[in-house]
Amino acid sequence: MTAQSSFLQLNSIFISILIEAIPFILIGVILSGIIQMFVSEEMIARIMPKNRFLAVLFGALAGVLFPACECGIIPITRRLLLKGVPLHAGVAFMLTAPIINPIVLFSTYIAFGNRWSVVFYRGGLALAVSLIIGVILSYQFKDNQLLKPDEPGHHHHHHGTLLQKLGGTLRHAIDEFFSVGKYLIIGAFIAAAMQTYVKTSTLLAIGQNDVSSSLVMMGLAFVLSLCSEVDAFIASSFSSTFSLGSLIAFLVFGAMVDIKNLLMMLAAFKKRFVFLLITYIVVIVLAGSLLVKG
Amino acid sequence: MFRLLVLMGFTFFFYHLHASGNLTKYINMKYAYLSFIAIFLLAILTAVQAYLFIKSPEKSGHHHDHDCGCGHDHEHDHEQNKPFYQRYLIYVVFLFPLVSGIFFPIATLDSSIVKTKGFSFKAMESGDHYSQTQYLRPDASLYYAQDSYDKQMKQLFNKYSSKKEISLTDDDFLKGMETIYNYPGEFLGRTIEFHGFAYKGNAINKNQLFVLRFGIIHCIADSGVYGMLVEFPKDMDIKDDEWIHIKGTLASEYYQPFKSTLPVVKVTDWNTIKKPDDPYVYRGF
Repeated sequence: MTAQSSFLQLNSIFISILIEAIPFILIGVILSGIIQMFVSEEMIARIMPKNRFLAVLFGALAGVLFPACECGIIPITRRLLLKGVPLHAGVAFMLTAPIINPIVLFSTYIAFGNRWSVVFYRGGLALAVSLIIGVILSYQFKDNQLLKPDEPGHHHHHHGTLLQKLGGTLRHAIDEFFSVGKYLIIGAFIAAAMQTYVKTSTLLAIGQNDVSSSLVMMGLAFVLSLCSEVDAFIASSFSSTFSLGSLIAFLVFGAMVDIKNLLMMLAAFKKRFVFLLITYIVVIVLAGSLLVKG
Repeated sequence: MFRLLVLMGFTFFFYHLHASGNLTKYINMKYAYLSFIAIFLLAILTAVQAYLFIKSPEKSGHHHDHDCGCGHDHEHDHEQNKPFYQRYLIYVVFLFPLVSGIFFPIATLDSSIVKTKGFSFKAMESGDHYSQTQYLRPDASLYYAQDSYDKQMKQLFNKYSSKKEISLTDDDFLKGMETIYNYPGEFLGRTIEFHGFAYKGNAINKNQLFVLRFGIIHCIADSGVYGMLVEFPKDMDIKDDEWIHIKGTLASEYYQPFKSTLPVVKVTDWNTIKKPDDPYVYRGF
């Protein structure tokens, strides 16, 4: 294999990941623009429960209504935090939205031969992860952990005509597209390089006990950086070699953290927070996957 | 200016993919509607950016003067506010996929990817972790309830078993392969023909190789390979990635490298062919 031909293969995989992800990013940035222009801090303050547990639950369940993938959700979450949504509710939302939505659950159901159990395990573990992490964060952090601190003076978007607001929505969408787009592009490129050059069979050959196989599947999910609506099909292809628990780990972890959305998170949140968040996700997903038997 | 160019570039790129038909080289056309949505949304954003640019060319990137009444845009990173090397880096990042996507030749996944991605499909039920047959055998049983899968398999089986000669086309490559792998005994002695690219892998005998196709679920990043072991009457000198059409008789054989019994085609007739316009086969369900 010459270097040139393998680079062209890498490039084709890279472009195909972009073609798959860009529609979702566009929808994400436009929703973020709509939130910016049409949702006020007062509205959020009114509907957001004051109690931390209820706020986390509220965030996690709000994710159910948002069909988003793991990269489109980051601009939306960031915008909600800027609008005054507490961190614990925002993160709970960010973690459930890519998994607990009709499209992803349906594709999981199909991919696993119409077995509801996989859907329940995947949804249940995702919900558990987001609730536990939300509650921990609510005790641990008081501010929103964004890189750029919230700015005062957000109070006047509700003036102006509908047309002006729509114009503003689209301008925000463009800003957002450029600020998250570069991370998507770099992340897609790294993921394509991994697929082209890293022999996955070596990864799969690492240990076969419960813990190591869950960790291997989580590592694989991170490296492959698949969109959460198709990852179930890939996971199902491992079903005879890997335990159900480690497949669930793949399905839950991969939809929460992967190469492209890690870069996006690092651009939105403080570094320390991102690594802490990922550590929590790894630990809870691993523990959860060990409980799954079947 | 830069933003306008990039947005125009992406709009053009998605449009171009549809217009030229190259989209099928990247994704399963079942999902083409998503990139239609992308064209539509990108066109809107491009129009807005063009409007901003015409209104105030220098400031179109960071419109602090805009009239929506929300002058708090400073939280965003704007290319113009950054030192020049960072700015150029951002330009490069956005322009790279446009240039490489539009001007570079589109590569077809080939045997080098089989070597790295060989893992990606369901292993044989033997539970042997080192079994590599996983990538040869399409298995849609995962996609259907057991009953309806059995029923569908039965139908497919009847369809193929009534034929004396089985010829697999792009449309039924995956279904046909699956049927044969599911009822290996029933097809012994039948004539089969299909085409694909050659992959020698770790074959020990010089007269054996695999004839494979990449099957795509959504985009080529999630593809896997399917196909069959073929055996020529004499030693061959076919290179990896050469496209061949083969015709032969179905048999089954213990294949040492995979430590299992595989269907194998004893080739009677073959010729090299040009790479098809659409080298992939797609999963429909």
